[in-house]
Amino acid sequence: MSMGIQRAIHMNNPFTFRKAIIVNKVEETPNTHTYTLKCDGGLKALPGQFNMLYVYGLGEAPISLSNIPIFRGGHTLLEHTVRVMGAVTRAIISRLEIGSLIGIRGAYGNGWPLRDAEGKDVAIVGGGIGIAPLRPIIKYIEHCREKFGRINILFGAKSPRDMPYKYELNNYNTISNTKLLLSSDTPAEEWTHYTGFVTDLIEYIDVNVKNSVAFVCGPEAMMRVAVKKLLNKGFKKEYVYISLERRMRCGIGVCGTCQFGHYFVCRDGPVFRYSDVEDYLWVEGI
Amino acid sequence: MYVGRVSMDKNGMCNNHGNLFIGSSEDLKVVVEFLQRELGSAKLFGYRHHNGRIAFSEINNINEIFVALTDIQKPGYYRASSGYRFRHSFSSPKVFLLPPEYVILTVSRDYDILESSSSFQELTAIFFGIKPCDRKAIDILDRILYGRSPVYTTRRNAVRAIVVEECLEPGETCFCSTVNAGPTISSGFDIAYARLYGDLLVFRYGSSLGEKILGKVGLQRAQESHVKMYLEMVNRAISMMRGRIPNISEIQKALMEKVSAKPFWEEISSKCVGCGNCNYVCPTCFCTEIEDRVENGFSTRVGVWLGCLTYTYGLVAGGHFRQELYTRYRHFILHKFLFYPKQVGDIGCVGCGRCITWCPLGIDLRETLSRIAEVKSQ
Repeated sequence: MSMGIQRAIHMNNPFTFRKAIIVNKVEETPNTHTYTLKCDGGLKALPGQFNMLYVYGLGEAPISLSNIPIFRGGHTLLEHTVRVMGAVTRAIISRLEIGSLIGIRGAYGNGWPLRDAEGKDVAIVGGGIGIAPLRPIIKYIEHCREKFGRINILFGAKSPRDMPYKYELNNYNTISNTKLLLSSDTPAEEWTHYTGFVTDLIEYIDVNVKNSVAFVCGPEAMMRVAVKKLLNKGFKKEYVYISLERRMRCGIGVCGTCQFGHYFVCRDGPVFRYSDVEDYLWVEGI
Repeated sequence: MYVGRVSMDKNGMCNNHGNLFIGSSEDLKVVVEFLQRELGSAKLFGYRHHNGRIAFSEINNINEIFVALTDIQKPGYYRASSGYRFRHSFSSPKVFLLPPEYVILTVSRDYDILESSSSFQELTAIFFGIKPCDRKAIDILDRILYGRSPVYTTRRNAVRAIVVEECLEPGETCFCSTVNAGPTISSGFDIAYARLYGDLLVFRYGSSLGEKILGKVGLQRAQESHVKMYLEMVNRAISMMRGRIPNISEIQKALMEKVSAKPFWEEISSKCVGCGNCNYVCPTCFCTEIEDRVENGFSTRVGVWLGCLTYTYGLVAGGHFRQELYTRYRHFILHKFLFYPKQVGDIGCVGCGRCITWCPLGIDLRETLSRIAEVKSQ
């Protein structure tokens, strides 16, 4: 307890958002759109991080980056894939068009540990809208392909119709030393890929599991199965990463509503090393 | 002037009694007045008895400081009565530092930000008569929110002096000494006082500001007999609370074993109705929801307390991470005793007993903790 000067903290209000304009919209499925947002100045965001998107009068929703941001001509272009889940996302899908405004603040969270994955093989396992936060990993790896070993991409959706990024998935096959496996939970005509859960595809992974990193995102139940199967397959639990979702209101670790065990998912996550959360992941409602 | 955030020592007991002074309730008012003047007409915040409520709020007039008031607290029961053993009420200094409702932003339809909350910049405040348990709660909140939450940070910075009232007789629901949060205090305050009996108070300073003020007021040094009485009463208070909860490390060990014991948690939470009162009266609970309120073409983003016992906690668009009540009750316990230590380096319970007193069902946290420690993992 010192005499000390009053700690002068010149604190900008971290809840202040920036105005962004929607400059492109891709209808992935009827209830899932990918928006390109343009905002003034720079906004640094790593694969696996998220932004809080604000809709006037309704509130914010934490939405992952679905591509690597581009900084050009004093503006940043950001991509977010949004699926109708609640009020904010419904408003985004049903109301916002090219030219519409939206509020954005971020980026928050830790992101995928891509540096640690350098020199290793990479398995990417995504289910449903959980594919969105994994997509920037693929874009990143494409940019510096030589830094990574063999890549396996396993994407699944409820039906072929629900699969996002259909227009570019085949391009992933053209990335060198890369295998793409797709699944649909439900049978569909013209579906030439696997029918069943995406986690079933884990047994077809052909990377060197002893020197591999796995990145997993999807519904929590799917991630639990994926973790089990990846470990059975021989992946090390220190190299299996999952991206979690929780109720989030602030993004900066002060609202307390995203707690998962002792972690604040918004600040300590959303990406967690499985070995750091294995005590919690199997406990209902922790 | 005390401004820093410090960690509490083991039991808040002061080893050096050379700086003990004695005085009356009138002297206490003089001490406060001197302190206010020293800090340039600082505003006083403390417990105020008004319209039948005892709330932590601004004290406009020094004569609003009550001297003849006792509280009677039991599980699910609170009454004010005459006497001089006041502990606390439903409200804690948290209502000043992190108000139940506060404006974060005001936004126009065009996404222009019209107002950003920073209105407390100019305020100078003195916390008066807060209890050692609540002082420790501020340390805990500091470690979560200070420098991160704008409302908390500006209001915390406004607090320029802290006057603590030590407790020489614990309430029935109190257990501060078992969690190292009282009944006395050894750091993190400017002036501390305790009522020996009736109108005889002992004063102590905990900072150079406090020393200066007590010197200016010219209080008498306590005599050996006063010191002896003070220490005896402190020890008596500690012994009264001894055993009210099991040993913390036993609780923690048992909690780790029982995390997944669903039937145990369902049973132990079966009386809980999920009202969240325990969260709102808890001096360390900080969880917040942000609401948009639209009026006259503007949307005001408002922070409001959100209790983890309430259904909303864990609810997300398209699902619920804590739908069953037992998971929310368990989170309250796990957070206080297992997760706070990992988040801030100390448990998140200060033994104030408010969650017991203000639970409409009278659910007793101490009983829950005893059951946790006694029953073998299921």
